[in-house]
Amino acid sequence: MSDTQPVPSRDPAARWRHRWAAATLASTLLLIFAGGLVTSTDSALAVPDWPLSYGMLMPPMVGGVFYEHGHRMIASFVGLLTLILAAWMAWQEPRPEIRRLGWIALGAVCLQGLLGGLTVLFYTPLPISVAHACLAQTFLCIMVALTYATSREWGEAAASADDVAGVRAAAAVTTAGVFAQLVIGAIMRHAEAGLAIPDFPLAFGRIVPSFQTPEIAIHFAHRLGAIVVMVLVARLAVRAGRSRDPRFRRPARLLVLLTVLQVSLGAAAVLSGMAVYPTTTHVAVGAALLATSFFLALRARRVLRRLSVAPVASGAPALAS
Amino acid sequence: MSMRNTLGLLAAGMIPFLSACGGGGGETPAPTAAPAAAPVAKGASGTGNGSVSGKISFEGTAPGPQKVKVTGDAKCAAMHKDGIEKQAIKVKDGGIAEVLVYVKSGISGSYAPPADAAILDQQGCNYHPLVLAVQAGQQVTIRNSDDTLHNIHGQPTENAEFNIGQPGKKDDPIKLDKPELKIKVGCDVHPWMRSTIHVLAHPFFAVTKEDGTYEIKGLPAGDYEVEALHPTLPPVSQKVTVPDGAAKLDLTLKSEG
Repeated sequence: MSDTQPVPSRDPAARWRHRWAAATLASTLLLIFAGGLVTSTDSALAVPDWPLSYGMLMPPMVGGVFYEHGHRMIASFVGLLTLILAAWMAWQEPRPEIRRLGWIALGAVCLQGLLGGLTVLFYTPLPISVAHACLAQTFLCIMVALTYATSREWGEAAASADDVAGVRAAAAVTTAGVFAQLVIGAIMRHAEAGLAIPDFPLAFGRIVPSFQTPEIAIHFAHRLGAIVVMVLVARLAVRAGRSRDPRFRRPARLLVLLTVLQVSLGAAAVLSGMAVYPTTTHVAVGAALLATSFFLALRARRVLRRLSVAPVASGAPALAS
Repeated sequence: MSMRNTLGLLAAGMIPFLSACGGGGGETPAPTAAPAAAPVAKGASGTGNGSVSGKISFEGTAPGPQKVKVTGDAKCAAMHKDGIEKQAIKVKDGGIAEVLVYVKSGISGSYAPPADAAILDQQGCNYHPLVLAVQAGQQVTIRNSDDTLHNIHGQPTENAEFNIGQPGKKDDPIKLDKPELKIKVGCDVHPWMRSTIHVLAHPFFAVTKEDGTYEIKGLPAGDYEVEALHPTLPPVSQKVTVPDGAAKLDLTLKSEG
């Protein structure tokens, strides 16, 4: 996204595009929660066919069908929102990069639907199920970027702050760390290794368990990943605190809160024997963690870019690409 | 969550996937009328005059019945207002039900599968029978007798996995071509519904009745090893000599630990 070309004024349609993107982002979080429910309730194969459900558009919403078909309905809704957003961008968005990102979002949501269908038709094979879970998080990040890039803040002149480059670097590393942790979590979840280590905080009564099965290894890797993420988030919070800028401090505080909640939910998932709601909320909060960290990285990057170019002429708020 | 289907399958499976877009699962054959076949709780018969019969007893403490709450489907819930009673080990007069008794070794030659289909019925939001034994290549009719939808999801390791949606009363035939014991079958819509299918290479098997008795007919005279296999208990086997007539063999299954 270039920072040097002239920017159009922010018209009402631009505001509505931002609202639409924000609504799509919120719906994506809901969709991730609904997808988590499908796995937590073991309902992924309750509807054996795809794209129809029992040969119907709307089957009786009984038992596991409620979760699987409900997930499909919310996914279709998000797909529709994304389609409209991409078309809207193509029609009215002046920045080619953002228009392109709109099409990428549409491609990602279509691919995600296809992966969801394939995971059903091939009886939830691990690689496809994990790819489906990871693409969901990637799509969420695309929606964060689209929502931020269409916001008023994106086009505003940036006030300086201390150590923005440090915040940007820490947020980027944290985002990468959280994403890697989500990949490990997805593998653990779809390999049914969530209870491979049944105790918490110890592992079979020890700090490091005996790796007798791949499931124990992947479960333990997820616990180690949680420690790495906690360290990364703490480092980011310190950097954001040093910036003395609420634009960074507030999301960093939210990130710390989400991390504490996420670790608690992870413990609750194990200690409750993978009860549906702690486990599913753990998935959704993981997604929120990623989105917040990614947003912070984007915001720091944006502030740096805006500081490095000539300020936008005073007057109406502007959209810059 | 099977790990056997790899991404390689993804590419190879694109054509069937595309053809399945209209609705049915890939493994679902066209529905046919159910053949008039008796449920396979008795052993099919071979070609000899010998037979083995007896009783499979249980030693140990059988866990009591468990009430499973029926939720998520008003039609199932209406049929089971007090829940469904599940009992992993069913004992009557010392005998144990739902045990596969089969000739494990000593069979020579090959035997064509019976022409009659075995029936696995979903009735009252439960499977009938809970343990089904068939010969490899024999047709199995998956029947939905309920006025609600079921998916029947089999998770074999030797045969092809299947997941068939039955939105209402319907029969779907399947075939399991390879011998395989203890195939888990379940409904992902109604998680309490679980059944076991055993697929054998020959017709010399039986599933015990309520009182633990069984009879395997049609065996040629000879020396055999017979095994008793329950879904949740360690198996027990024993050698037996079958004359050109009836042989008797009682076995005892014990709970672990």
